[in-house]
Order: sequence, then C-alpha cells, then structure tokens
Amino acid sequence: MDVWFVGGRSALFWLALKSGFWTVLTLGFYRFWMKTRLRRWYWSSIRPGGHPLEYVGDPWEKLLGFFIAVVILTFYIGIVNLALMFVSFSVFQSSFIGYFSSFLGVIPIWFYAQYRARRYVLGRTRWRGVRFGLEKGAWGYAWRALLHWVITICTLGLLWPRMTFYLEKYKTDRTYFGSATLMQGGRWTMLYRATGPFALAVGLAALLVFWLVWLEPLVPQGAKSFEEVVGGFEADIDLMFDILDWQRPFRLFLILPVLLMMIYGAVHYRFASKRILANHKHSAGVQLNSSLNALRVSMIYVLGTTIAYAILVVGIMAIAGVAFALMGSEALVQSQLGTSDPLGDLPRWLSIGVLAALYLSVFLFWGVLHHAFVTYPLMRHMALTLSLLNVAGLAQVSQRARDEFAEAEGFAEALDLGAAI
Amino acid sequence: MSMPPDLESHVAGPRPMRQLFSGIDSTYFDGDTPVPQTVTLMVDHAAQVLEIGLPGSAVAGVCWSLDEIRQLEDTAGQEGVILRWMGDPLARLHLADPYILQHMPHLKRGAPPKGRGRLAAWAFAAVAGVAFQIGVLVPLLADRLAEFIPPAGERALGEATFGQIRQALAGTGLPPLPICENQDGLAVLEEMLVGLEAERGTDAAIKVFVLDHEMINAFALPGGYVVFFRGMIDAAQSPNEIAAVLAHEVGHVENRDPTRHALRSAGSIGILGLLLGDFAGGAVVLFLTEQLISANYAQSAESGADEFAFAALEAADVTPAALGDIFERLRDKVGDTDGVMSHFVSHPTLTSRINRARSAARADAAYGDIVSDESWSALKRVCD
Repeated sequence: MDVWFVGGRSALFWLALKSGFWTVLTLGFYRFWMKTRLRRWYWSSIRPGGHPLEYVGDPWEKLLGFFIAVVILTFYIGIVNLALMFVSFSVFQSSFIGYFSSFLGVIPIWFYAQYRARRYVLGRTRWRGVRFGLEKGAWGYAWRALLHWVITICTLGLLWPRMTFYLEKYKTDRTYFGSATLMQGGRWTMLYRATGPFALAVGLAALLVFWLVWLEPLVPQGAKSFEEVVGGFEADIDLMFDILDWQRPFRLFLILPVLLMMIYGAVHYRFASKRILANHKHSAGVQLNSSLNALRVSMIYVLGTTIAYAILVVGIMAIAGVAFALMGSEALVQSQLGTSDPLGDLPRWLSIGVLAALYLSVFLFWGVLHHAFVTYPLMRHMALTLSLLNVAGLAQVSQRARDEFAEAEGFAEALDLGAAI
Repeated sequence: MSMPPDLESHVAGPRPMRQLFSGIDSTYFDGDTPVPQTVTLMVDHAAQVLEIGLPGSAVAGVCWSLDEIRQLEDTAGQEGVILRWMGDPLARLHLADPYILQHMPHLKRGAPPKGRGRLAAWAFAAVAGVAFQIGVLVPLLADRLAEFIPPAGERALGEATFGQIRQALAGTGLPPLPICENQDGLAVLEEMLVGLEAERGTDAAIKVFVLDHEMINAFALPGGYVVFFRGMIDAAQSPNEIAAVLAHEVGHVENRDPTRHALRSAGSIGILGLLLGDFAGGAVVLFLTEQLISANYAQSAESGADEFAFAALEAADVTPAALGDIFERLRDKVGDTDGVMSHFVSHPTLTSRINRARSAARADAAYGDIVSDESWSALKRVCD
C-alpha cells in the first residue's frame, strides 16, 4: 500500500501566510491556531492507500496547555535560576557555573516535554477513523535519554547509534494504531551502516589536523610571536601561484570541504537511520517500508534554505527600496551617519511599535518561506518514500480510547521545542 | 459530475421526498475498524437526514441529521471532502461527489470552545503566577540573598554586569564602549571619594569608572562599581555636583541596592524569556539592560541614597544643595531633548527631591568646594 501526497505548495504558502499574519496581529496568541491549521493541512496531504491522515488537535487545548506549562515552569525557572546565580557568584565568583547548571537542569524537562509532545500529536492523529496513541512514560524516556547521552559522550560518540536505536525503540514500542501496537525490530548495530559518510569526514578531519599540526607544522616551531607567524603568512601570499605547494598555509582552506562533509554526514546519519529503523518497524500483519533518500533530503535542506533566504533578502531590499523612495535619499544617508533619527518625530511607543512590527514580519515571512521550501518538500519526500508492505493485519484493528491530555504540548511550546511543524 | 439517478427529479412538481446521490468512490469509516466501506447515499428531505447505506456490511446503514453534518477544515488537495457528524464524533464519510453538499446547511459552523471556565482559570493563574513571581517572590528572595552574598561574589556579579552594559551600549559586533583613562581626571574622582570618606583599599572599596558616552547619567553596580557617563560630567557646572551624584551612588552601594537589582533581573530574565519565546529573547536582554541603567529603584531606595549623600556631603563640608542643583540642571536640560533616559529625570517626585536637598543645607553655614578649580578642569578632560 503506497502513501500519496496530494497538497500543493501554493495552497500551503497562502495558509501559512494567512495564519502567520493573524499570529503577528494577535501578538503571538494565534500561533496555537496556526499550528493546528498547518498540521491539519499536512496531515490531510499524507494519504496512505488514498485515505488521508486526520489531525484532530484543538487550538484551545493548546492554549490551555501553554498556560499550565507557564504556571509550572515560571516557578521552576525563576526561583531556581535566582538560587543558582546566587550560589554561582557566592561560591565560584562567576556566572558561568550558574548558567551551566541552569542549562543542565532544563535537559530532563526537555526530554520529558519531547515525549509528551509526541504523545499529544499521536493521540490527536487518526487514519481511517482510528486513533493513534502513545503510552504514558515521559519520565522513563527522560532518564533513559539522559543515561544514553552520558554513555554516548563518555564513548566519544562511538555508541551514538545505540542511543538512536534504543530511544527510538522506547517510543516505537509504545506506539499504537487503534488496538495494534507497533514494534521496533532489528539490532542497534545495524545503524552503523548509516554512519559511513560521517565516519569518513571525521577520518579526513583527523588526517588534516595531523598533517597541519605535526607532519608539516603550519606554525613553525621557531616562530616566537604572533607577528612573526602572520608575517610568515604574508610572505607566502606573495607566492600565490604556489597553491600546489603542500607546505603553504593555503592548506587551511581544506578545512572548509571537510566541515561541509561533516555536516552532510550528520544529515545523512539522521535520515538514513530513520530509513533503517522504519524498515524494521512492524505490527501484527503490517510491515513498514521506507526508501528515504538521505542525499535528496540534504538537497532539500540546502536548496530550500537558499531559496527561502534569497526571497527573504529580496523582500527586505524591496522594503528598503520603498522606504528610500518615500523618504528620499538624504534621510537615509543621514540615518546611516547617525545624524538624524528617522523615527525621532514619532512618540517613543509608536516608533517601538513600528520596529517591533517590522521585526515580527521578517520572522513571519521567514517561517512561511521555510514551510513552503523546506518543510513541505521534506514531508512530501518522507510520505512518498513510505509504504506498507503487508496490510492483512489492518482488518483486525479496532478503536482505542481517547487520550485525555490537559496540558497538550504546553511544555514543549514553552521551551520552544515544537518548532518542527 | 454525474446526475443523480433519480428520475423523479426531472419531473416538475413538488420536491421528491427522498433523493438518491452517487456513492461511487465515496467511503465510510465507522470509527472502529480501519476498513473502508462502500456506500449508497440518500437524502430524506422530510426527515432532514442523510441515509448512508452500507451494502457490504452487517449493519444496514446509518442516518446523519443534515444540520449536524460538518466538513473537515484546512484539507489539502482539490478533490473530495471529508464529512463528520456531531452525533458520532469518530465516524467519517469521505465524499467524492460534492453535489450532495448543498443539502447540508451548516457545513462550516464552528463548535464553541469547550471548558471556557477552566481555560480562564488557568489563564488567570498564569498571569497571576508570573506577576507574583516578578513582583513579589523574586524581589523578596533577591533582597534576602543580597545580604548573604560575599564581597568577592558581589564584585564578580558587578564585573559581569558592567561588561554586559558596555557591550549592549556599543551594539552587537562592535568592541565594548571605551572607558575614559585620563589619569589626572581619575585621580580627581579618587580625591572626591577620599573627601566623602568612602571606603578605600578594602575588598568592598568603591571603584569609579567613566564611560565615553554622551548620555547624562550615572549608575551603581554590585561590588562597589560606580559608573559615570561622560555626558554627566559635561553637564555639571561645579565639582560639587559631581561629588553629590557620587555620594548618591555610593549610598546605593552601601544599601546594596544594585546587588538586589541584579539578583532580581537574574530571576526575571528566565521567566520573560520563557513567555516571549526565542526570537523576542534578545529584545528582553536589551530591555533589562536599560532597566539596569535607568535603575528604577523603589522610592524608598532613592530617598535612602539621597539621605546618605546629604550626610556624606555635610561631613565633607560640601553643601547638600549641590544634589538639588544637578537634579534641576538635568531636569531643565533633558526636558527639551526627548528620548534621553535618565533615572533622575524619569523619577516623578524629582521636584520634591530637589526641595529636600536644598532644605538639607544649613542656611547660615559657609560651605567649601570638594576639590580645587584645577582639579575640576582636570576632571572635565577625563575622556580626552
């Protein structure tokens, strides 16, 4: 059974623009409606076997969830931050320890919120009238995730695939479609297949560092001061044609391609591991199959971000051009020189209002473009490459009870996690 | 679209009681099993219901009341619509032929939000919680903790805050606002501190800086930092006025007002960041920096610092009226240059503070100057 994807980009663009406009106009309160509407649209685009998914989340419950999270988190963040700052300055005479432990303290809540948000979204998703669901277990997820992170950091990332696998297994094994549970099969070692490009990039980076630091030192041992080193570089730059001379500082430019390779490696791992994991997910009588292409996903990210950014820059230039035409060149030059304040004649609250509106509009437009050129093609690719190999088990599935959920995804919203869609 | 295979509809006369529609490609889901069911569709005008026949199922069919049928919103794609019925929130009818929709009057009517009372209660709790935190709990805790923070910790807090303020005033990406370093000028400030009998040479000693900025302002930071802007020194007409401001700020330091203030903002900054989200967070930091500079201390803290200044000036044989003079000068000067923020000026009871400073001076006494005229001109050149 194939998955279709039916929505058009322009329809999404207008929906995102329209709801984003209301979000700015209502000082952000409409964002719960915006999120709901966009999810409804994306979900209804994804059609396994021609029947759309349905998102039944309610903006009001999201608003309620946000209020609940604010009540609980303000006390945590306000009082705890204050106490940490006090201890940090009293005992260590620096703010760093305070900030650091404040950051550490938020991490478990972060994992907790992540799981709760997933539970909420799955609990509000239906296909063919039947609900999905995720069992309770957010704190179990949080401490497991913490432990896996500690292990991963202690092994310098060598056991990263183990973390990916077990955290995904924790979530998948608790996922339901109606009465049917989903299961994550396979072993964690199978994810090493996805690490290829990243491992290669790390290897090259290590070689490069070895070469630059020990084999042919970039900074000669004899050089005493910073000036001498820079002077040495300048002498080298005169010999522009000697790029192929392997002892020159031009070797430094090799860092750039290696860095790009590492970024690609990270994206490749993320999506190739998703594909491998999906191919080992099954339920009684149903088997998932994914042919997600990590290279394609990288292209979507690169092209989508570039296009969105280009359009945004052109838009801002157009606004600046209109301002230039309206106010005349002198005003603009003067404001650049700081000799006049173009908003100086306005009352302070009005000029702040105008600037805030401009600032928010740029963010709004960036969000809309990101939806149209990154999220949309990504969702489409993920949907189209997914299929169900065997659907005999579907007839045995029956409905599950509604997951009542007072705080919805409030914690994720308050901690800025739910930014994906 | 195909015409309904109902021959009666072509006959002129009264509307048919029951009208058949095409169910081809339409599907019904009963809300229990994920198995699509083929349908026959008929509208019964007399009973105002949609009869959904389920030929392949053990159940004969279901009846949906026409005015309780709703269409799913924000659905992608051009073809087909999905209908739901308020009587059975789980069942869905995926409709291929939109011809039938004209018989359903309230397809797009929204549902009233559920649990308004609960929502209002939590909204109130959220606002009250934040207000209670920022207005009561954080200040209370900060005031208590400020008593216990050791001098070295206080100094570190002040140093960090001073760095942040210099950076914020210079703008992102630029080097921090320069400090004026003319030794003769700084020596005059030192001379004033000695004259005012401020604590010297210890851990808690007052450290005075001048920032090269035209703002007419001065502020105190935790750990004994007192910071003047160049604009303040330019605006003053006599060294006694600067000494008065210095004494006022030393009063804040002695009363630990800046430490309380810094601890308060450490508590509040996280809360505001939480509420406003990531992109507004930068604006919050800027706002709080301005708050630190314009330092709207409580009225009692201001009069406490004023009282301290009067006593210190009196002891140094300088008229306390100097504080009133510089306040008045600032009020006149800043009154016509809009937008300059100064905590002296923005304070609503400035006139009464001017009067209080004037009456603190003994009418019959002959006061002296805090430093000589040469020293005063050296101080004026502190940023050259």
